[in-house]
Amino acid sequence: MTEKAMPPCQAACPIRTDVRGYVSEIARGDAEEAIRIIRRVNPLPSVCGRICTRLCEKACRRAQVDEPVSIRALKRFAADQTKSLKLLELPQNSYNENIAIVGGGPAGLTAAHDLAWLGYKVTIFEAQNVLGGLLSEGIPEYRLPKKLVKEEIDNILALGIKAKTGKLLGKDFTLEELLKDYQAVFLAVGSQKSLLPRCKGSELSGVISGVEFLKQVNRGQMQILGDSVLVIGGGHTAIDAARTCIRLGCSDVTIIYRRTLDEMPAGPEEVEDAEREGVKMMYLTSPVEFMGEGKVRSVKFVKMELGEPEASGRRRPMPLENSEFELQADTVISAIGYIPDAEALIHNGLNINKKGTVIVQDDTGITNIKGVFAGGDVVTGPLSVIEAMASGRRAAEAIHRHFRNQTEQELANVVALRSLDDDVVKLINKSERKKMPALPVKERIHNFAEVDLGYTYEEACREALRCLNCAAGASVSETCAACLNCVRVCPFGVPVPGKEIAELDISQCQACGICASECPASAISLQIDGKADFRQELDQVIDSARQETPEILVIGFYCRYDSPIGPPFDSDELYWIARCCMGGLKELQILYPFETGVEGVLAHACKKDECRFRDGSRWLLEHIKRAKRILKETGLGEDRLSLVLGEEEFTSFRERLNTLGINPLRDRKKVGP
Amino acid sequence: MIVAELKPFEEIKEMLKDYKKIMVLGCGTCVTVCMSGGERQVELLAFSLKMARKLEGNEIVAGEKTILRQCDPEFIDQIKDEASQYDAILSMACGAGVQGVAGKLGEIPVLPAMNTTFLGLSDGHGSWFEVCAACGNCILHKTGGICPVARCAKSLINGPCGGSQGGLCEVSKDNPCVWQLIYARLGKPDLVRCLGEMSKSRTRPVNPRKMMREDLKVKKEPTKGV
Repeated sequence: MTEKAMPPCQAACPIRTDVRGYVSEIARGDAEEAIRIIRRVNPLPSVCGRICTRLCEKACRRAQVDEPVSIRALKRFAADQTKSLKLLELPQNSYNENIAIVGGGPAGLTAAHDLAWLGYKVTIFEAQNVLGGLLSEGIPEYRLPKKLVKEEIDNILALGIKAKTGKLLGKDFTLEELLKDYQAVFLAVGSQKSLLPRCKGSELSGVISGVEFLKQVNRGQMQILGDSVLVIGGGHTAIDAARTCIRLGCSDVTIIYRRTLDEMPAGPEEVEDAEREGVKMMYLTSPVEFMGEGKVRSVKFVKMELGEPEASGRRRPMPLENSEFELQADTVISAIGYIPDAEALIHNGLNINKKGTVIVQDDTGITNIKGVFAGGDVVTGPLSVIEAMASGRRAAEAIHRHFRNQTEQELANVVALRSLDDDVVKLINKSERKKMPALPVKERIHNFAEVDLGYTYEEACREALRCLNCAAGASVSETCAACLNCVRVCPFGVPVPGKEIAELDISQCQACGICASECPASAISLQIDGKADFRQELDQVIDSARQETPEILVIGFYCRYDSPIGPPFDSDELYWIARCCMGGLKELQILYPFETGVEGVLAHACKKDECRFRDGSRWLLEHIKRAKRILKETGLGEDRLSLVLGEEEFTSFRERLNTLGINPLRDRKKVGP
Repeated sequence: MIVAELKPFEEIKEMLKDYKKIMVLGCGTCVTVCMSGGERQVELLAFSLKMARKLEGNEIVAGEKTILRQCDPEFIDQIKDEASQYDAILSMACGAGVQGVAGKLGEIPVLPAMNTTFLGLSDGHGSWFEVCAACGNCILHKTGGICPVARCAKSLINGPCGGSQGGLCEVSKDNPCVWQLIYARLGKPDLVRCLGEMSKSRTRPVNPRKMMREDLKVKKEPTKGV
């Protein structure tokens, strides 16, 4: 097994999205490259950019400094910005096997996508009239617009996947029948049967299930709920149901949860949103009895206290004696969880366990029936969309191996980069997490318009620049001469003298690039900043500049951290190149443009004491000085290079360049290596 | 470590004026550590030379290479073939390295890009100091670990001259008087004993010096002086 530490966000993501990769592309202002990176592993970026449970953000090391990077919002930004971009890649191979996917939710869609992309003939069987499962029907429009879900599903189907909707397993077809026409079946029917509280009166009318309620609203089947609604549960469904009730005009909506906010599966942000819309929260409370004649009229509750932790790690709620009380209710919505519909599974010969979920051999989803694989909530019980997608992906891989007689690849052991040391955390500048802009409460509670509005370009760039570039920092090669200069110049004290060469713990490196720019043996390289990339970028900029044929051509370097949304100022003859910290800009990089015939080079320094890495501006100054000396010695003249703090200085620099005239090296053959 | 610094650019340019194709050869040990002749300096010097010559309308090809040590024949062998394609080699090593390369490469002229200055120490903040004269007769055990041969402007080994004032050397006020430092380290009684032991006369070494280890000889004859 190979071990390579991954950025914690990527290690935490069930489908191992290269989060750092796409966040850094957004930081560069390149949403197209960002969406390409996302789409490599995720066929539902718009969906995940809105409703993912974001395990990545829980793992984000920025939280050690202030708050995690708002990763989900950045994914949404990348997806929203690139709607018109056609990213469809058609399968390279074509295989003869037909594969049936039963269930068109996130697990089924992901498996269908992967298998179709590998070259199989895929057909999805969906019980409802639309694909998407809970994405289309279980999540309210204000959180996940159906139009977007449909667009992403259409993109997936464009790989040549057939879909048969309105086909229910056990009613319209059986697994046995499917296996006659299809060589493999992936069963991903989800878990849709709602649990009801085990207390008296749950059969009364007016006691309804949360998922059922949301589905009906999504299908446009309006509900008569009355004024006061009690929602029981603490998950996303409970919050969604309560906020939907507000939008349907209920005046008195209360969520009743048996634990506290800390244990709630829905996050504090969701709770806050619900409260702002008028939903009341009642914690440490559990229903005892639903009361009424034929129809529910009130509910008897008991107060709870938290006892010892149970297997899940959450503390078990225990009823408090003599704490019972009653609340009036026109409707009670139960959202305490859901399970697979076991009946159809048993009838089709599948082995299921006590919880009602399908028993599988391992991660690959192999069931007791040959050729039938299972995944998603029908195996795990209700989990998140992203986990269902991961399950679909593993099943697709297993099915592919099954047909191609491949053995399971030994997977690289996923190790997340360890946390930051306190000494390093102290030296990292704080930077506030940008809150997602949202519709004002007044404008959202009477309709189903999407609440979150998404970041603007500027907000997205700024937020993306908060990323700490985990695991993309410096590494030392064996050409290290152990001069220990890196040990001396690192603003975070990361490199240390090793036995033979300097040792640099990549888990602590902040990727400023100062050590690499000061290494006399060129033994340090930064993953986020390859040497070749720089030359390539520079050549491209100069080539495009040449087409404009300005009299005087100036290359400007600026820091992305200092000017997040683009160059600090503009001028016709000025072509900018962005860097992440100017301290890492090497002398040769400053000098190289002159060799290609550029008249002037400027470096825009950050304001004093505002460097993200503390020492960047100091090192920039040194590198400029050394480059100037070389310009003087070679005879080109040091005046062609300038450190510029603002536009006024640029004006005088440009005048100086006018006097100096064109670079004598212009239009001659390149002399670079 | 051996400390060396880059020669003035004009001097290097002058040295290379008749050559069209040179290899700039860095050394990966002492001069890399003292930031003057490692891979990065090779890149910068090659770049500077190419640019300067291009501006003069007399272009030069400047290849870049860095080997781990120019003072060992096996490392020089690694570049022998490549070097034969060049008119001259510009060595960025210390004087030993330059001669090592020159001795191995035969016909090809090998030119020094550096001035080799001393055996020294780093203070960790961009400064290096001479501390050893390689005299071949170490007395540091007597002088409190401070060498008067290398660090006294007059190399006096039997106490300070009369010119030291306020702890500073009369030759250069930038330097401390080394005997003052020795005194501060040893204290009066030990200093007196030290001076007593120093009274014996020391023989000056005869150049060039050699170190021969019969036990390390493997079949072939030892390398003749280069």
